[in-house]
Amino acid sequence: MAGSLTRGEPAAASGPRPVPAVLRTALYAAGVLAHRILLLAVLLAAVFAAVELLPGDAADATSERGESAADLAARRHLLGLDRPVAERFWDWMTGLPTGDLGTSARGEPVADLLAHPFPNTLLLGGLALLVTLVASVAFGCWAAARPGGPLDRGVSASATGILALPEFVVAVALVLVFALWTDWLPAVTLTDADGSPASWEMLVLPVLALAIPQIGWNTRIVRAALADEAKAPHIETAVLDGLPRHRVLTHHLLPGALPTIAAGIATSTGMLLGGAVVVETIFNYPGIGSVLAGAVADRDSPVIAGVVAVTGAVITGVLLLADLVRAWASGGRT
Amino acid sequence: MTSTAAAAVAKAAPPPRRGRRRTVLRVLPALLLTALALAGPWLAPHAIDAPVVAPYAEPGGDAPLGGDQLGRDVLSRVLAGGRELVVTSLLVAVLVTAVAAVLGAVSALRPAVGRVVERTADVLMLLPAVLGILLVTLSWPDGGRLAVVTASVVLGVPYAVRLVAGAAAPVAASGYVEAAAVGGERLGYLVVREVLPNLRATLLALFGLRFVAAVYLVATAGFLQVGPQPPAADWALMIRENSAGIVLNPWAVLAPSIAIGLLAMSVNLAAAALVPTTGRKAVPAL
Repeated sequence: MAGSLTRGEPAAASGPRPVPAVLRTALYAAGVLAHRILLLAVLLAAVFAAVELLPGDAADATSERGESAADLAARRHLLGLDRPVAERFWDWMTGLPTGDLGTSARGEPVADLLAHPFPNTLLLGGLALLVTLVASVAFGCWAAARPGGPLDRGVSASATGILALPEFVVAVALVLVFALWTDWLPAVTLTDADGSPASWEMLVLPVLALAIPQIGWNTRIVRAALADEAKAPHIETAVLDGLPRHRVLTHHLLPGALPTIAAGIATSTGMLLGGAVVVETIFNYPGIGSVLAGAVADRDSPVIAGVVAVTGAVITGVLLLADLVRAWASGGRT
Repeated sequence: MTSTAAAAVAKAAPPPRRGRRRTVLRVLPALLLTALALAGPWLAPHAIDAPVVAPYAEPGGDAPLGGDQLGRDVLSRVLAGGRELVVTSLLVAVLVTAVAAVLGAVSALRPAVGRVVERTADVLMLLPAVLGILLVTLSWPDGGRLAVVTASVVLGVPYAVRLVAGAAAPVAASGYVEAAAVGGERLGYLVVREVLPNLRATLLALFGLRFVAAVYLVATAGFLQVGPQPPAADWALMIRENSAGIVLNPWAVLAPSIAIGLLAMSVNLAAAALVPTTGRKAVPAL
């Protein structure tokens, strides 16, 4: 069996040789990767420029009342702020791939400040992304099953209603209902000795607060993608062939809508990581939100620049995945 | 206006009669709530910065919604706390829509500009808006409200330009615009007199969507304490300040939350009603 397969291949390739599908996919992936990394580098350069060009620097931010100009100049020198901009830019950009995110206004390496909190935030954001994916695909399919019916209209209307709610408003509502009035779930996050959340129950409310607006957003995307896909001729054929409704949905509609759904979920990643900053503050969750809250109090822009660099890298990764899903779903035709 | 242009925007025009009445019904709550937020400071029964009752006092008597962390009247502060949020968001929405209208029309007429805008939007997709606003406000400590507005506009424009450019492309390709271009009309004339007048429905919808996004961003900035500073009455700031006393007087947190929630939902309802086409484009890019 295996022998006949290998013998068959040279014959097939004897004509004008097409590029093998595997190689084509690999080339496509490499191109997409290079493109994404270039975009990330441009963002990071813009972030550095923003920190640099806007008035006020890290030495100003941490200055105390009555501090002499000489002290300020000394700390500026200590932080390296008196070196030429081009030199510091080069140092910052070349340091990033090695995990060096620069120095905070207090003189600590930003990478050390983020080493423990960032994995916690990724856990929170990752769970919220998973909940968003499952819930929005479920609601979207549910609504699409009876197009134009009361259920469809109800799901679409609620999705539109909640997608614009700021996360902190959702969080307040959740805390009131589930923590204060019913006492089912804890309203604050306690941490273990290693700095991670002490129990899974403490993750439920933050994850929900983050996911609910995104579920509204993505349900609409899933619903619209399914509606577009339902117009395709092969779906009509499948329905006319008498295939059961759920089989048409799972084997014909969803695979076709997959690239759009993946792109929608990928764009949610940025919203989730941004929203995590807010939600973590409310639930006292030990993530980058608490680091940023401290940075806000200290007016510490190098820390923010470091957080932007790391989240930008994560979002780049997720967008890359969405690109690959699209390439895979279209069988290397893109 | 030529018939070609009419055909190009026929899809974008709102359906007549019954459709229009439904649109008005959906826009009305947002208009009422915005008007209430703007007029609120005049309706407040107490001064926003003077203690009236005990800290976190329960509702009753002089303070129908109780007191906040300093014993100030929650009702008065809720009534006063929406104006700045609404004014700032309206300002952001107007600026983004105006800049995007011009840039979008130019991108449709000059593809090279369009490509630059596309790439900028691709780059900004990697920057969560909340982090972007923190970055700008912290690097510019004296910027205050101007910093929040600047950051919101910069972060919002690229997506908005995409939307306008998409809608402007068929108009720019229409015969009468090409004729005007061949006739030697300058770019500015083409943008203002030929392209933009055909995009009224799109621009109105865009304004609604950008208002939704601006309410989200401005409120979140307030919550993160980079917007209005105490003792200002601001809904987002009130939620942050009073969350410690949520057990004692939930209304100090609940009332501003409901206010922001209602504002966000009603404005979004209005924006969704104004969007000419349904489907994926109807989802606002925050």
